[in-house]
Amino acid sequence: MGTSYIYKRDASRLFIAVRDNGKRFKLYIPKDSKPVIDGREMDIDFVEQEDFHYTFDWNGKRFHCELVSRDQNKAVVKVNGVEYKYSIESIFSYIRRGMINSDTSKIDENNIIAPMPGKIVDIFLSEGDLVNVGEPILVLEAMKMQNEITANCNGVVRKIKVQQGQSVMKDELLVEIQSIDM
Amino acid sequence: MKKRLLIANRSEIAIRITRAAHKLDMLAVVFQSDREPDALYLKYADEIIPACDAGNEKAIFLDPERIVNLALEHNIDLIHPGYGFLSENPDFAQLCVNNGINFIGPSPQLIRDMGLKTVAKSMAIQAGLPLVPGSDGPVKDAETAKTFADKIGYPIILKASAGGGGRGMRIVGKPENIERNFKSASDEALAAFGNGDMFIEKYLENPKHLEFQILGDKQGNVIHLGERECSLQRKHQKIIEESPSASVTPEMRKEMGEMAVRFAKSIGYYSAGTIEFIMDEDGSYFFMEMNTRIQVEHPVTEMVTGVDLVDWQIRIALGEELTLKQEDIQIKGWAIECRVNTEDTQNRFSPQTGFIDKIHFPQQDYIRIETGVQNSSVVTPYFDSMIAKIIVHGNDRPDVIQKTLAALYEFTLTGLKTTVPFCRVVLQHPDFVDASYTTRWIDQVYTPEMLENEEDEMIGALAATILYASEYLQLSSDLPTYKNDRLNVWVLNKRLNY
Repeated sequence: MGTSYIYKRDASRLFIAVRDNGKRFKLYIPKDSKPVIDGREMDIDFVEQEDFHYTFDWNGKRFHCELVSRDQNKAVVKVNGVEYKYSIESIFSYIRRGMINSDTSKIDENNIIAPMPGKIVDIFLSEGDLVNVGEPILVLEAMKMQNEITANCNGVVRKIKVQQGQSVMKDELLVEIQSIDM
Repeated sequence: MKKRLLIANRSEIAIRITRAAHKLDMLAVVFQSDREPDALYLKYADEIIPACDAGNEKAIFLDPERIVNLALEHNIDLIHPGYGFLSENPDFAQLCVNNGINFIGPSPQLIRDMGLKTVAKSMAIQAGLPLVPGSDGPVKDAETAKTFADKIGYPIILKASAGGGGRGMRIVGKPENIERNFKSASDEALAAFGNGDMFIEKYLENPKHLEFQILGDKQGNVIHLGERECSLQRKHQKIIEESPSASVTPEMRKEMGEMAVRFAKSIGYYSAGTIEFIMDEDGSYFFMEMNTRIQVEHPVTEMVTGVDLVDWQIRIALGEELTLKQEDIQIKGWAIECRVNTEDTQNRFSPQTGFIDKIHFPQQDYIRIETGVQNSSVVTPYFDSMIAKIIVHGNDRPDVIQKTLAALYEFTLTGLKTTVPFCRVVLQHPDFVDASYTTRWIDQVYTPEMLENEEDEMIGALAATILYASEYLQLSSDLPTYKNDRLNVWVLNKRLNY
């Protein structure tokens, strides 16, 4: 899966849309590039926008979307004449509500723990950032070797427990990551 | 002086008839009902009669006395009833005739005869048309019913002679069930109608609906214009029609067409008319009824034959002789009509009323659009939910299916839901593609989930999210990093009105 680096840093642009049949979509709406849906950058063109109507082009097809009704975070959208119901959450509210990965053992798995004693040389992320699986989070120097520690899931950086220059013990918790993989 | 033709109808058919009137250099006169005073058809007419029917229980189109009185006041020469409303009301036709107004249709007596199913069927028998096998009169007991059923074959349907609304009606699939069902149906009929008499008839499980278009003149010439298949229907409301039918071979077309002509001639029929057949899975067919009006689906016949049926209807009413001969009628290519009804096909086809925000029709030389609405039109609860028809012509059946599908994808309407997505589903379904669909298709095969697909579902999620995100990101814009950074430029930098 070559999904690395698809989600850019800004977690406030990541949303979860849940359809009434339970199907979930993870949508990243970047500032100036095409949307990322379920980890894939989509070649969708925005053709027209007027009031509550959007028209998209994708895969050589046209999609007419019309907002039928909206209540809080729930929306009914008519796509090419057929209605679909969704509820939308930002990734933060989604996590807050414990709607993904509430399994605590799983949460622990995604946390980054020092594999060996050493010194934190560099930290690439801040709390609240999005991180992709395989993306480097920090550099840990041990025995004069620099080790890049990478994320083992796509997720949001919840807490960074260490600072640059700090020495850490083996198995010490370095970074807490909330997985957004579903 | 130009002849004055009054159209006792509304919507797309009023516009269709207006066109025919203009072709014959007549003035088209229409009613303006208070129930839809801004209707589109008013724009095409030469003269508008205000109906002032707001306070009346019936809309003008259902009020024979008022129509005729207003027609007399406005020096009307001919009345075209269109379809529905009073188009097959013999009393209305008679009233027109009595007042010296030319009613465009057959004689009032024939409208009356064809409206009574028993009369129509006995006339059909006389002309040698096949009828669904059944008992001529009531059968007296279960034993007789069983003997009869063994002869015509199962399944059979038992019908109370006084019945209605499904009471006293049983479908029996096996001989061992007939006695029990006969008794319960007969008892039910006796309790409900005070009459336990039962008829027995062969039951067609998966029938097709076929109909032959005919044209006859007052001189006794009759021709047929091939068949239409209208099997795709819901509660007897047709949604998609095609001409010709894939279930009719050239030999059958000749045989059934000749039968239709023979029947029309035998009863002295003139004007446009339709003879309906029901066809069983084994290809056997039976006369059902005759429609004495122009039908909603007449354009598919016009597309494949090139004959203007409404034009001929009017000319025949004026006494003109039908110059078309049977050998002039050639079926060219294939045509499909999709009815655009404002109905929610995701929710049991419930009617939708309200404003049409924007409507866009496909435009091609092989596409014919008949519409009664435009942008900002209102769909009222007072009339039918059909707002338009999309009729497409192709070289053959696969070609027309593909062209129709493309046309339906190009059609857009915002504000209300329509039957168009449903029609798209049908046209792509194997049962339609191989033409095996029957009148039970919607009940037996169709589910609203068939309207959904993963691409639309995903794009819908995107649209919903963009709407939500635009608001969410505006709220977040208090943070310094979000300054002037509200929404994606991909979203054309247009702010939403939240």
